[in-house]
Amino acid sequence: MKIKFILNENEVSIDVDPMKRLLDILREDFGLTGTKEGCGEGECGACTVLLDGKPVTSCLVNAVHIDGKEVMTSEGIAQEPLGKLLIDCFDETNAVQCGFCFPGFLVTSYHYLITDGEKNPDKIKKALSGNICRCTGYQKIFESVMLACERKPLISTDQVN
Amino acid sequence: MKSIRKIDAIPKLNGSWKFLDDYSYEEMIHGQLLYSTCHHGTIKKIHFPDGYNLSEFTVVSAANIPGENIVPEPVCDQPYMADKEVFHFGQVIMGIAHPNRKLLREFIRKIKIEYEELPAIIDIKECLENEDNVFGKELIIDHRTGRKPDPNWIHHHKIYYTPHQEQAYLEPQGMIAVWQPKEKIMFVRATCQCPFFVKEGVETIMGSAIKEAVIETSEGIGGAFGGKEDFPSLLAGITSLLSYKSGKPVKIVLEREDDIQITTKRHPARIEIETWTDPETRKIMKIYIDYRLDAGAYQTLSPVVLARGVLHAISGYSIPDAYIRGRLFRSNTPSNGAFRGFGAPQAFAAMEAHVESIAADMNINPYKFRRKNIFRIGNEFPTTQPILENNLSDCLERVIEKSNYLQKLEEFKEWNKTHKDKKGIGISIGYHGGGYTGNGEKVLNSEVKVVIEKDATVKIYVANTDMGQGAHTTLAQMFFEAIDHPREKCLVQLPNTSKTPNSGPTVASRTIYIIGNLLRRFALKIKDELGFENLDDYVSSNQNEFPREFRMKFVQDPSVVFDEENYVGVAYKDYSWAACVTEIYFHADTYQIELTKSWNVIDIGKVVNQKIAVGQAEGGILQGLAYGLCEFFYKAGYGRMHGFSDYALPTTMDLPEIDVEFIHTDSPIAKGLGEIPMDFPAPSVRNAFHNATGIFIDEYPLVPERIFKSLTADERR
Ligand code: FES
Ligand code: FES
Repeated sequence: MKIKFILNENEVSIDVDPMKRLLDILREDFGLTGTKEGCGEGECGACTVLLDGKPVTSCLVNAVHIDGKEVMTSEGIAQEPLGKLLIDCFDETNAVQCGFCFPGFLVTSYHYLITDGEKNPDKIKKALSGNICRCTGYQKIFESVMLACERKPLISTDQVN
Repeated sequence: MKSIRKIDAIPKLNGSWKFLDDYSYEEMIHGQLLYSTCHHGTIKKIHFPDGYNLSEFTVVSAANIPGENIVPEPVCDQPYMADKEVFHFGQVIMGIAHPNRKLLREFIRKIKIEYEELPAIIDIKECLENEDNVFGKELIIDHRTGRKPDPNWIHHHKIYYTPHQEQAYLEPQGMIAVWQPKEKIMFVRATCQCPFFVKEGVETIMGSAIKEAVIETSEGIGGAFGGKEDFPSLLAGITSLLSYKSGKPVKIVLEREDDIQITTKRHPARIEIETWTDPETRKIMKIYIDYRLDAGAYQTLSPVVLARGVLHAISGYSIPDAYIRGRLFRSNTPSNGAFRGFGAPQAFAAMEAHVESIAADMNINPYKFRRKNIFRIGNEFPTTQPILENNLSDCLERVIEKSNYLQKLEEFKEWNKTHKDKKGIGISIGYHGGGYTGNGEKVLNSEVKVVIEKDATVKIYVANTDMGQGAHTTLAQMFFEAIDHPREKCLVQLPNTSKTPNSGPTVASRTIYIIGNLLRRFALKIKDELGFENLDDYVSSNQNEFPREFRMKFVQDPSVVFDEENYVGVAYKDYSWAACVTEIYFHADTYQIELTKSWNVIDIGKVVNQKIAVGQAEGGILQGLAYGLCEFFYKAGYGRMHGFSDYALPTTMDLPEIDVEFIHTDSPIAKGLGEIPMDFPAPSVRNAFHNATGIFIDEYPLVPERIFKSLTADERR
């Protein structure tokens, strides 16, 4: 099946098995290995990407579901001003341990930052509850996202758009 | 104490840091393991499905092994692949490879194996209650005085159970083998903790078919926690065999379901404790501990876990008369193995519950009872190792003070009188001996290498891997801080067994404690030998001396003398100590325990990088709390869990506020940190639940179902 979609702001097309997982399309066909497979069953969030602006686990999304849609991966987010802000906050707190979960956390936290961004621990906990991290105990991840919420106003709005 | 940032954080965040599955080689094909679904039986026939071109597949089994079919371990008793008989579910029978991963998966799923089933033990209690299942060597620590208990001493006798725990490293196990026939070298890229174990694993299975195995780790190792200590040897062996036979690079990445079902876990334990306590002095006078581990089908490294278990079994209490026995029990389940804590979490689970029961029974405040009995200078471990510091009691005092424990006990008591839901607060303590047990570090004989380049860049070669704990940042920091060299000029190289000397495995909280302290001394030694003040200046004015290589070996302190036959002497040179207070809120309607806050005071000596250390402690503490609260792997009537959908890992919603404080940080040595955060927190949950409800549950985890059962059982009484 031939599909067209927007991948990290570029229009791409590919001829692919309609049931191929988005996760595999990203990793194998586009070499975007930042999106990780932790479980393959929608439980860990390591494979999280934005699909039309909403976080989804790409191990449960198939090629047919992305035709005509917009996909944003951790690599794409890392280029955005708010993505860069988050990366800097995660780095500053030394939050990153093995790092396998972090591209997923980056995507989910980025989504929180653009859709809400209030520096509110309960809201942040809830927003990140679909991502599993086995190394950090989450505390430093919160600290980082809180820090990013605090610093968000310093990033100029036209940069954000 | 400087919190320099991690060298690998940004590439990990933007996705450019490579984990095992992110590597690929030309003509690489995919492999997978075919494993037994029978718990015990003889293989009668294996049926491959119709409709596939079998010549496209590479298949290896025990019959194809050119070397030996025994995985190198402390006790070598586990084959890489079963021959005729399988002894547990998940035992590997074949390795199979094909260029198309999806097709391979489908093919393997359709393979049918006929077994003649034999009796099997899969239930944890069935395994641990029956002494006929004992195998391997019994360990005994005999510190008996021969004195009869006084008639007025109060006798307590209880049995405690702990479950399996899954490491749940987020990156599944994986391996790539690239056979290089011309050089007869098997190159293996591994996500592992111990590259030299993997090397031995590949060379054992391949025998004289290869000249050498060269192991290099992936850049990223996506968590390990002990789970990537010995299983990678088996996986690398089979992947290598597939590459050898197919002539192509082969990658195996386990599916999560396979990973969780067939790899090693924390050993379930049954620990029976008898104590005699003097009611006058409130001191425990005599103890007997029977420490049992379910090892699974093979011993592999269980004897070493058992050793650490019995050496930590008494928790932090000075008891004049002690007898501890440790035994392994065999079951028809995959061999259990290393997991952060390595036998110690089970020990503290039991003993920290036991002291709580004694205190409750004798109506003594749990803190005051601990304080009466806790290790102090002048006491000794049951192995006769002298206690040289009061740091454990310092941890306890500090955590009691900062958590406001005594006041909260009263407050909660009042609050609970008028509420259906309950609040509770609980204590636990723990410690961890750093490095290999007993004479282990002497035997390991670790070596490190440093190359100073012409531009004064220092390349550090150690076999210890960075699996997220930040080892490569902290190790480099210990070196450059010692000689005041710029950070960006000091880098730990990716472990590769052909370039890196064997500085031992990345286990036993030894990386910073043994290797880091060695690197610090090494830096000072090089500085002394060359006689420089500033390395940059020295190198630029003595260009012809560089690049230059230096090597140094670890020398064990002469005070570490341990009699491994009788378990007498100094088992570990230095101990990290800790104490914890956890607060819970018990929801009476849903039988759920909500963790609200956990205070943790830890002595790891000198803290090299404050933020890295706190982060590692927080992660371990949550693993520890979850061990007591929600994680279980086997359930009678249901069997083993299948993945992250039924294995309950803590998420952000389960997280209490975690407070971590390090004390005695002015010490000159950095002690072990990796494991201690996992060792001690779990019992505080159970003790807090007892404080809240007055009910003791002597089995982890404290899931609503178990709580419901004990509460209703209690009402029936
Ligand atoms: S890999 Fe998709 S949720 Fe775990
Ligand atoms: S940092 Fe390892 S799983 Fe999150």
